[in-house]
Amino acid sequence: MAVKTAARQEPVKLAKPGSWKRNFQRYKALYFLAIPLVLYFLIFNYAPMFGLLMAFEDFKPARGFFGSTWVGFKNFIDFFTAPNFLEILRNTFVISALGLAVGFPLSIVFALLINEIYVKWFKKSVQTISYMPYFVSTIVLCGLVIEFCSTNGLITNALVSLGLVERQNLLQNPKYFWAINLISDQWQGLGYGSIVFIAAITNVSGELHEAAAIDGANRLQRVWHITLPGIKPMVVSMLILKCGMLMTVGFDKILNLYNTAIYSTADVISTYVYRVGLNGGRYGYGAAVGLFNSVVNLILLLASNAISKKYAEQSLF
Amino acid sequence: MVEKLTPSRVIFNILNYAFMILFSFACVIPIWHVLMASLSNPRMLMANSGIIFKPLGDITLDGYRMVMSNKSIITGYGNTILYVVATTVIMVLGSLVGGFLLSHKDFKLSLPLALFIMVTMMFSGGLIPGYMVIQSLGMLNTPWAIIIPGSINAFYIMMMKSAFDQLPAAYEESATIDGAGPLTILFVILTPLLKATVAVIIMFNVIMQWNNWFNASIYLPKRRDLWPLALFMREILINNDTSKIATQQDAENASNMTANLVKYCVTIIGTLPLLCAYPFAQKYFVAGVQMGGIKG
Repeated sequence: MAVKTAARQEPVKLAKPGSWKRNFQRYKALYFLAIPLVLYFLIFNYAPMFGLLMAFEDFKPARGFFGSTWVGFKNFIDFFTAPNFLEILRNTFVISALGLAVGFPLSIVFALLINEIYVKWFKKSVQTISYMPYFVSTIVLCGLVIEFCSTNGLITNALVSLGLVERQNLLQNPKYFWAINLISDQWQGLGYGSIVFIAAITNVSGELHEAAAIDGANRLQRVWHITLPGIKPMVVSMLILKCGMLMTVGFDKILNLYNTAIYSTADVISTYVYRVGLNGGRYGYGAAVGLFNSVVNLILLLASNAISKKYAEQSLF
Repeated sequence: MVEKLTPSRVIFNILNYAFMILFSFACVIPIWHVLMASLSNPRMLMANSGIIFKPLGDITLDGYRMVMSNKSIITGYGNTILYVVATTVIMVLGSLVGGFLLSHKDFKLSLPLALFIMVTMMFSGGLIPGYMVIQSLGMLNTPWAIIIPGSINAFYIMMMKSAFDQLPAAYEESATIDGAGPLTILFVILTPLLKATVAVIIMFNVIMQWNNWFNASIYLPKRRDLWPLALFMREILINNDTSKIATQQDAENASNMTANLVKYCVTIIGTLPLLCAYPFAQKYFVAGVQMGGIKG
């Protein structure tokens, strides 16, 4: 094997003078295969990146990208001084941070609990069922939420009979949106989110557990001293990955759940870009808001990657 | 390992099993409720206020008959299947070619190409510039707007790359010695070895396309005949517009009553295929999540 690999690399070494040409001659087919791929990414990924320059334009569809007037940072300043700027920023952060603060520990605890189940068929069934909500589409999920939270919906009925809320459409009240969004997210994503942790727990050595059991450690002590340290690398890297996405809230769900009555807690950056930028026809402004969000995300990602490199000794790139 | 059953252990077990049963119940019950409601008598459905465990009144398929006799649901189904198949073909081909190129160490373009592709994982033009590109390509209100953009993406290429990386180089070497060209090597020799990864990619794409209402809503505003099922479902479930589903006569009779029934039936029709299929695809699903790099 080693000999073969060496033999395989040799011709490249020999071809050093003008090696690109040599490489091209040898792998002509690969170069041709790369062309459509490069074109695809240029058109559908790089052209939009270049198009972000419209964030600095007073973009008029009639005059096009090249004909519109440059306005510098005006669109950004407009956004930062918009009356709902802080509200949108807060909503984006809170919705995402709530999901992380609640969803992350929950999926670890769920993985730990499911690991304590020794009846095989039962464990498998619960796992299978726990993935099920992930396969329910966003539209259907939102349809269910709208229906259950309506004035006479199941959830409203239950909460009213418990005396927790007054009868109303819960989705019309800005107070409840974060909770509704969080709970429906967890319903859909808990089983899915725990998959990686269940796998990590399974990989923790059984010998360590047996040795500890012989030494008289009880179940809880073993979870604390063996299982948790065993899955720590996975936990840390997942956590850092998630922190890098802290200002990312997809519009998929919120766009289907929110309404004018609850913009004050439900409007996030992505929905704002869609509503004001695309639907409202303020393309340059929308692009500027989107660019701002992308830059913040990129900074968060790079920062969490750097932290990960330093403390967890692993990194994405 | 056999556990000693101490009293605290027994209590924990009881609570744990009870929790798991409740949890499973919570996962299943919303869909079960909708399924039972869709088979219920619409009049009794209106009066109901709790969870429906079994159909109210005599089982009726009237709602389904109404929905299935409507053209848009059939059109939506057809379009969704078309989009699923087309995007899957492009995605699988693109990811295979991309992964193959990137994993080829001797190929001098592989590193620059990897960087070129990975940049798109970290930074994107976003919604509006993306829309502008599609518009200026003249793809608005054509099926191409749904099929082509986004079908090839960096995540799946990187996933394929690591799958190729794990294959022993000997396969390719011996095939080269036997005179096979790169395309033969890629599609005839290596791809069959990567069936599992391809299955993972296909599965995630099916889920994504099945859910995809957004792209159609912005790219196909004027072409209802090209809408995927998800967008028709949105009209009915979110925008609360059942007028296009119920026939004139029904609408006059008891619009509210049938509207509710129709909603439940549409929910089931749009959900059942994936819910029936996923237990069988579970293996790939779990494997795919563990391969990482997939956004939730």
